[in-house]
Amino acid sequence: MKSLRTRITEVLTPAPNYKLLRFAGDEPIPARPGEFVMVRGEWGVHPVLPRAFSLVECGEFGSILVKPIGEGTTLLADMQVGDVLTVFGPLGKGYDLDNAGRRPILVAGGVGVAPLLYLAREFHAAGTRCVFIYGGRTEDDLPLADEIAEIADLVVTTENGARGEKGRVTAPLARLLDEDSNTIVYSCGPDGMLHAVSDVSQAVGIPCQLALEAPMACGMGTCKGCAVMGTDGTYKYVCYDGPVFEAAEIFEAAS
Amino acid sequence: MSARLQAPLGALTLDNPYINASGTYGYAVEYAGFVDVARLGGVSVKGISLEPRPGNMPPRTAETAAGMLNSIGLANIGIEAFVRDTMPRLRELGVTVIANTFATSVEDFVELAKRFDGVEGIAALELNISCPNVHAGGMHFGVSGEAAGEVTSAVRAVTSLPLMVKLSPEAGDICEVARAVEAAGADVITMINTIRGMVIDVDRRRPMLGQKMGGMSGPALKPLAVRMLYEVYQQVSIPIIGMGGIGSLRDSLEFFMAGASAVQVGTANYAEPGISLRLADELDAWLAERDLVLTDIIGVAQDPA
Ligand SMILES: Cc1cc2nc3c(=O)[nH]c(=O)nc-3n(C[C@H](O)[C@H](O)[C@H](O)COP(=O)(O)OP(=O)(O)OC[C@H]3O[C@@H](n4cnc5c(N)ncnc54)[C@H](O)[C@@H]3O)c2cc1C
Ligand SMILES: Cc1cc2nc3c(=O)[nH]c(=O)nc-3n(C[C@H](O)[C@H](O)[C@H](O)COP(=O)(O)O)c2cc1C
Repeated sequence: MKSLRTRITEVLTPAPNYKLLRFAGDEPIPARPGEFVMVRGEWGVHPVLPRAFSLVECGEFGSILVKPIGEGTTLLADMQVGDVLTVFGPLGKGYDLDNAGRRPILVAGGVGVAPLLYLAREFHAAGTRCVFIYGGRTEDDLPLADEIAEIADLVVTTENGARGEKGRVTAPLARLLDEDSNTIVYSCGPDGMLHAVSDVSQAVGIPCQLALEAPMACGMGTCKGCAVMGTDGTYKYVCYDGPVFEAAEIFEAAS
Repeated sequence: MSARLQAPLGALTLDNPYINASGTYGYAVEYAGFVDVARLGGVSVKGISLEPRPGNMPPRTAETAAGMLNSIGLANIGIEAFVRDTMPRLRELGVTVIANTFATSVEDFVELAKRFDGVEGIAALELNISCPNVHAGGMHFGVSGEAAGEVTSAVRAVTSLPLMVKLSPEAGDICEVARAVEAAGADVITMINTIRGMVIDVDRRRPMLGQKMGGMSGPALKPLAVRMLYEVYQQVSIPIIGMGGIGSLRDSLEFFMAGASAVQVGTANYAEPGISLRLADELDAWLAERDLVLTDIIGVAQDPA
């Protein structure tokens, strides 16, 4: 783990309401897909806590995809090339890339695309072809879809039907799992989507890994803030037991 | 660390006056290899209870203007696992360990103190009689001089460790509580713990936190903490460790000048896990430039007697 003072080297707008911030420090942060970093700009005492982000890219520079939903993410989305970004990580437990010969099906909702694009690139580099199901509310909620299309079999869904299949990610997911049981599901997105992805996967007994979000302060397992109740009746901590969990650790199979 | 940073706390002298506050640095082992934890003035570990505690219903944190609320609920591994599994590692790392303990009865505070006495590598015991996050317990000791004195003297009788007692800003008269713990044999006062606050999620029309209320910490707490320390300093003669919202050298100077012999840094660790070491270096430079030592500035903002 490292704490780096980095500078923003590039700001991209991959969709109207999303920013991709690229940053570079003295050394790279060697994160695996699904691992995350805690990020903060030089904005004084408020907001006081850093914010958690999955890494989209990691190498000589790193990058995060920011969706402004509140104060911290809005400050980050407004940052400019040259601004200082303090980044520490890598943190948490990422995806298990050992797919045991199963075909990876990646399921992303909105900003949940961040760790999954990184994961898809790793599979691609290893010569494994993935299916990438990517859902948004509208065609504006699909940042980085074109990058995905280059390296995976992209299936898009939008709730308004403006791009791809009309509806939600679970419809194509259920179809694919029905066709091929030698698969493995990797997902990240809003809670409701993760729950539905878990239901669909667990119903047919397909292994499924989910990346969760929870408000957190430390990112390193010390403050005990990011608790979620596991199916075994004990609290799991998103920052160090996760953020990636086996679906069955978090969600009961739907009956 | 240079000698000018030495912080005398009665029988205990710290190499530098920046301690990481309980609940904000885990058991310190998490940061090893990343922060030079042996150089920290000390680490007050996450509050330890007799039995492990799972903690409160989430969400457990919410951010506020220049601060945050937490309702962690003393999630911790319990004294047995701490002494057996964590202490050997802390000794190996050379961390100055302050054992922050939490209980809901005098008997349990006494039992914790007995079990820490004689554990190698513990620099001091800190009684958390001020946790706002546990039902039926903890804070009621901290809001009355009589109850605070009772638990302090009971623990004093069974421990040979330097004894720190952590005060609550929720006390009606914090000076009365401070005098009571001094009279009962405390060696050091640490202050302040968090004060209860609430955030309402207006979309859900419910309190944001699972426990509804949570302890407020961070920069927003600082003026309250400095004022209380300034007042308590005038009423006791034992050393005081100040805390509440410290995030810069100047913040900590306020506490020293109000009368703190050392300080604890809490919430600021989340944004910068190595902040205490940076502040120690900055204080060293600040003192050197003025040809001062730390003890020269303690309490200098107090009115002349
Ligand atoms: C492991 C992990 C990876 C993440 N990766 C990304 C990513 O790649 N891109 C992205 O845009 N977002 C990501 N998030 C979510 C992001 O951290 C939150 O959107 C952000 O913290 C919200 O802060 P805010 O100040 O804008 O919102 P506010 O609502 O003002 O935040 C108030 C408080 O709530 C917390 N909070 C609010 N919503 C969330 C949330 N969904 N998750 C965690 N904490 C929250 C904030 O950290 C803050 O402490 C990730 C979260 C986690 C835990
Ligand atoms: C998440 C969190 C957990 C805490 N847990 C404890 C604890 O277990 N025992 C304790 O004595 N104080 C605990 N505190 C209080 C701090 O030690 C400190 O008194 C308070 O946060 C004020 O300092 P700060 O503003 O620098 O954070 C906790 C604070 C936070 C933010």
